Amino acid sequence: MESKQAELELSLIKKMMEDTRKLNIDNGIHYIFWGILVALGLLINYLMLVFKFYTKYIGFVWLVMMVSGAVADILIGKYQSKRSKVSTYAGRILASLWLSSGVAMFIYGFVGSFSGAYNSIFICPVIATSLGISYFTSGSIQQLGWLRSVSFGWWAGAIIMFVFPGIHTLLIFAIMIIMLQIVPGIILNKKSKELLTEIAK
Amino acid sequence: MNYDYQQIDDVIHSRIRTAIMAVLVGTEEAEFNFLKEKVNATDGNLSVHLKKLEHAGYVSVKKLFIDRKPVSKYKITAKGYKAFENYINNLENIIRSNKK
Repeated sequence: MESKQAELELSLIKKMMEDTRKLNIDNGIHYIFWGILVALGLLINYLMLVFKFYTKYIGFVWLVMMVSGAVADILIGKYQSKRSKVSTYAGRILASLWLSSGVAMFIYGFVGSFSGAYNSIFICPVIATSLGISYFTSGSIQQLGWLRSVSFGWWAGAIIMFVFPGIHTLLIFAIMIIMLQIVPGIILNKKSKELLTEIAK
Repeated sequence: MNYDYQQIDDVIHSRIRTAIMAVLVGTEEAEFNFLKEKVNATDGNLSVHLKKLEHAGYVSVKKLFIDRKPVSKYKITAKGYKAFENYINNLENIIRSNKK
């Protein structure tokens, strides 16, 4: 084998591996799905508190929304992975990261407040702190600097909600969910579609 | 400096098989149709090359049915990883030895 041929082989390998690496980008569907669900839950929660409408059932409303969301998400995930033509290790790590993060948030949200360990108003900043960790890690895995930077927004918001707690915390968190979860989800979705088209060429 | 060309792995040393290995090394597993799109090969051609890699123990295959349709999913093995790593090292050595 000549040096020129070896160089050609190496460049082909590099190109193939780079194309495959692009598959590691999340399609953002889960960000959008959970973002809409949680933003809706926060709005319902806020209105129930403002209008003093069945306030003792707030926890139950969240429980129903989150459990049905988790079931739907698992079913969607299973459907997608079964039909996916390719799976990557990075994809598996991302799925594990978000699943473990979801379990942690469930514990913070339900067990933490129902057990009386802390006031339920602090669920939002605790969850925002946790989301910051997940976004930072997720951005690092996907090598997306902008996604990693989103975590600073979560942490800054968490500090504000810890320092200035109140009924408005729900609205701040809802805005954060829209800006730091739904919008990045839409960007990821657009980016992943563009990359898939580029790879298919 | 002379390079021992016999060190080049003949199983990987084919344009299609190199491409298959390069795709599989970055994935957990990939479907036959995905590989077909990526390496731009016909069904028959790809099957022959995948069989060769399978016989060498470089890739493993899992056959299953999805919506009653047969699907083959391919995965690189530990032996395959090692062989691919050696193959790349050998290519780099060839380039280096010719530059000297």
